[in-house]
Amino acid sequence: MNLSGVAVVGVGVTPQRKRSQRNSLQVALDAAKLALADAGLSHTDVDGIAARWPGPGGTELAPGSADWSTLLGVPLDWIGDSYPQGVPALLDAAGAILTGQATTILITGGQAGVLGGGQVASYTRPGNEFVEPFGAFTAAHFALVAQRHLARFPHARRGAAEIAATIRNTGSANPEAVMHGRGPFTADDVLAAPPVVDPFTLLDLCLASEGGAAIVVTTLERARDLPHHPVVVLGAGMEWMRQQYVDPPRYEQVWPIGRRAAAKAFGLAGLGPCDVDVAQLYDVNSLEVARQFEALGFCEVGEGTDFALATGIGPDGKLPTCTDGGLLSFSHIGWGAPTLKIAEAVRQLRGQAGERQIPGAEVAIAAGAGSGAQYYNLALLGRAR
Amino acid sequence: MTVLDSTALTADFWAAAARRELVRPVCRDCGHSFFTPQVACPACLSEDWVYRPSSGRGTVYSATVVHKAPSPGFTVPFGLGVIDLEEGWSMLATLVGDRLPQIGSAVEVTWVERDGRTQPAFAEATS
Ligand SMILES: [Zn+2]
Repeated sequence: MNLSGVAVVGVGVTPQRKRSQRNSLQVALDAAKLALADAGLSHTDVDGIAARWPGPGGTELAPGSADWSTLLGVPLDWIGDSYPQGVPALLDAAGAILTGQATTILITGGQAGVLGGGQVASYTRPGNEFVEPFGAFTAAHFALVAQRHLARFPHARRGAAEIAATIRNTGSANPEAVMHGRGPFTADDVLAAPPVVDPFTLLDLCLASEGGAAIVVTTLERARDLPHHPVVVLGAGMEWMRQQYVDPPRYEQVWPIGRRAAAKAFGLAGLGPCDVDVAQLYDVNSLEVARQFEALGFCEVGEGTDFALATGIGPDGKLPTCTDGGLLSFSHIGWGAPTLKIAEAVRQLRGQAGERQIPGAEVAIAAGAGSGAQYYNLALLGRAR
Repeated sequence: MTVLDSTALTADFWAAAARRELVRPVCRDCGHSFFTPQVACPACLSEDWVYRPSSGRGTVYSATVVHKAPSPGFTVPFGLGVIDLEEGWSMLATLVGDRLPQIGSAVEVTWVERDGRTQPAFAEATS
């Protein structure tokens, strides 16, 4: 059995909010229940779990960490301490399934009750002694990369604003998005919004919100007996470079991050960028979307914003991107956010995305992380044949 | 996961900073300068490294201006940059001065007090 023998059979996304009344463990459990119900499975069917946050299977003793085997009331055959969730957890689960360690794996996580008001979200501010004293935070690391790129390609600033406006307008139309009903926005609105860290304004940058997200992964063979059309993993790849948000990123190294991962993923799938129908890219900021078009092979370096504008990345475009409104408008839930990308890809590929359904979606990208984070990962997902 | 007490690696950096001296780890086996301090030299994996003084002179690799305070105690806007030091290492630090250094600016270290500690910052080079 190869990678495409692994299927995502359940997705669960809890209500996403600016601030939740629940805690991180509760939303992770909420999402797990939704994903299992969607898969037509019971928690007693689960024999493996990748749920690093709020805590893996009893390996953390800190208050609030979860012993998932106790919580689910079932013994487990496999635990993945996947960091973060999304594609790395999906690949961990696929490895466990393909080596016979487990048959039905739950990936769940999210954040709730952790965001305060006012300042930059605490999880984006590493307490490191070579970061905190200088006032750096995650968006600032991405900004330091972006400044180098814009020094080379100044026209990309306005193109990035167009990208932010498009994705935010997609989210504005999605009743499930945290920013539902906000907008419409133009590129000028994005450029004129309050500056956060140059070159980015408030509207260039993703949300920090609360909620849970989960998926259930099993074999394609088992998936054929479950309620929904199976979505399989056609290919995937990851790249890791230095310690995120501590050692400052070098533009020349991190701007192309994802190129090798994409080559691997497309190679495994036997597909190319032109075969992708919907792109759930990791839109932590506007320019990062353009960067991914360049790194993943959709266009050349420096052409990412032009590619987005010419191709069309809105729901009516040739490459609908972040079809739920993305991290910019739908939600960003910390280390659980990458799982949102897989959930939206699966919904689109099943043809169950409701009013935001992209007709005929057969191949989707789900991505995680980016240049300022100094790691990146992506999966190509497709409708099983 | 905490595998070692990081202050053992960095205490001498901050002790030097308190004397307004910028230092960086230098490998005694291969001569490589690196930053942030690590248990071993990332070029040759030797644990035999020492802090050596830096001239504090370098070039701004990238620069930005922060407009939203990351946490209480920061006055915005302020400059933030990655500085390539002339000994071949680089660090993240605050940028200061009436004229904020830009990408490519020649800079030199200066010292600022924050939370009772002396820390490096970089300003346009005066010579
Ligand atoms: Zn060495």
